[in-house]
Amino acid sequence: MTRLLDVSDLKVTFGTRYGTVTALDSVSFHVDQGETLGIVGESGCGKSITALSLMGLIPTPPGKIAAGSIKFLGNELIGLPPAQLRSLRGSDMAMIFQEPMTSLNPVFTVGDQIAEAITLHQKLDHENALKQAVELLDRVGIPSPEKRARDFPHQLSGGMRQRVMIAMAVSCRPKILIADEPTTALDVTVQAQIFDLLNEVQQEFGAAIILITHDMGAISEMADRVAVMYAGRIIEEGRADDILDHPQHPYTRGLISCIPSLDQTRDRLREIPGIVPPLHELGAGCAFAKRCDHAFDRCLSARPSLSAAGHHPNACFAVEEQRL
Amino acid sequence: MTALLEVENLTVRFPMPKEGFFGSPSYLEAVRSVSFKVDEGKALGIVGESGSGKTTTAMATIRLEDAASGSVRFQGNDLLSLDDEGMRAARRDVQLIFQDPYSSLNPRARVSQIVREPLDLMDIGTTSERDQRVKELFKLVGLREDQLNLFPHQFSGGQRQRISIARALATNPKLIVCDEPVSALDVAIQAQILNLLAQLKEELGLSYLFISHDLGVVRHICDDVAVMYLGKIVEIGTRDDIFERPQHPYTQALLAAAPSLSRRKSKGYTRPLTLTGDPPSPINPPSGCAFAERCPRVEAVCRKDAPILADGVACHFAGPVK
Repeated sequence: MTRLLDVSDLKVTFGTRYGTVTALDSVSFHVDQGETLGIVGESGCGKSITALSLMGLIPTPPGKIAAGSIKFLGNELIGLPPAQLRSLRGSDMAMIFQEPMTSLNPVFTVGDQIAEAITLHQKLDHENALKQAVELLDRVGIPSPEKRARDFPHQLSGGMRQRVMIAMAVSCRPKILIADEPTTALDVTVQAQIFDLLNEVQQEFGAAIILITHDMGAISEMADRVAVMYAGRIIEEGRADDILDHPQHPYTRGLISCIPSLDQTRDRLREIPGIVPPLHELGAGCAFAKRCDHAFDRCLSARPSLSAAGHHPNACFAVEEQRL
Repeated sequence: MTALLEVENLTVRFPMPKEGFFGSPSYLEAVRSVSFKVDEGKALGIVGESGSGKTTTAMATIRLEDAASGSVRFQGNDLLSLDDEGMRAARRDVQLIFQDPYSSLNPRARVSQIVREPLDLMDIGTTSERDQRVKELFKLVGLREDQLNLFPHQFSGGQRQRISIARALATNPKLIVCDEPVSALDVAIQAQILNLLAQLKEELGLSYLFISHDLGVVRHICDDVAVMYLGKIVEIGTRDDIFERPQHPYTQALLAAAPSLSRRKSKGYTRPLTLTGDPPSPINPPSGCAFAERCPRVEAVCRKDAPILADGVACHFAGPVK
């Protein structure tokens, strides 16, 4: 299987009024052709920043990629001239955002917007691009696509808008599709449609998907592999079955068991006490130590990094020393 | 068991803009003849997608929205016919927790004042009794006394929701309307708040009218569940009825659509049933069953006659998943 994306030791910092904070720290992962990688975590864990850095969309300043490398098919993306990055973005890597209403331009028809993406990357005139846009709308399951192509975003429902975003994203047959919480703004029945559509698109175009979500249920349904993030780091990584059936890190265990189940009735949910610490208050120890039942002195003095101890890679001293 | 709250044939209409000056007034019926009851110490969950009328139903029940017709009996009184003073007194026993803990707390008031305000407004107890009560409430919801004089922005989302809960509990209510109380929170924090709500229900014998789009959350906290679609209840029953033996195709589709840890891509899971399209517009609801256009079991009669809620389900072809 072809290795499409190889991210290693990525570090992203932001200048804030609290000084420089590290939003991403030693983040490494890879994506192979045709697979779906799920990145999961709570708000502020760095999952969206990860997506934005892949696309070269970190606002600079205040943000900065301070270290690390992002290799796409072996070519380094960090430090690439803007023009080259632009030609890559949208054609080889495309992104679907959380809120389709704010990521579509309200004053152009959706057909024109998809056609624009096509003409930017392919040698096609507007008329033919528009024809292709209509075909794409049909492919993503929009009824009477020719009529809909002339609609403005506000004339479409939330689910339709997300379909338009997907049509635009796949218009140039990207190798990687990054979906950042693509269904958060949608109702469950529409969310199910969008997930099914993403799977179909993956089958048809052979694209790899990076799905960013806070929902372990979505991970279970969609992902082949999973990276769990906490306070800017990947703290556990493995195949979806590994993560869901044998979670190692206490945070992952908590994240899985605190979800109210759809299939059975339980008396009490397991809680993760406290809240995610603000990034500027991270000390030398493990970022999760204060909320962790298994923390011991070593956790307070050093920050664990991903190690192979345990069932699959995870960053926890308690697992490493078999204290769980 | 006596019903604490009994709602019958509640209908809520919103006026639509007239077509021209002499146009006849038209209405959007957001809630169409909804009936349910909540027993003492029990929680009724109302689930449905956006626009299904679940929030409007709850708001009309406690008269934060005007009902066009129907009756709401609460502790023997008809809330809809109470005068202002009577309603003010009734509000002691009915309180509310909102979805967004950021916009539902006054940013310029100290949190002790926010929690105390219902006591001041209802004129309950002496000044020192009120202070004492606020301290009790803080402890009850898991906040510390040294946090009494802080402002809302100094708290996290989960803590703010605790403040909202303390405020709702101030007057010792019997019924709390919870409008998506955990939707704005991260899952780990959501579990904390759900456990707190479950514990309070147990300890204080509270009843909840619990509105949520999240089926897992509803299954966790509610004893009974009503499923709404386009302003109507399409299925209502005990938690086990709805989750173990759903009869209405919409309930079944809703359950199939919700992501769950047991539905695993790696184990070859494919959804048994996916709905197409979006719910129809409530401005011009179809004359037959509102769900007909998206329903896998639709037949000619569905487009003609709207089904009537009988034995907890409103469907011409109700039955278990085929």
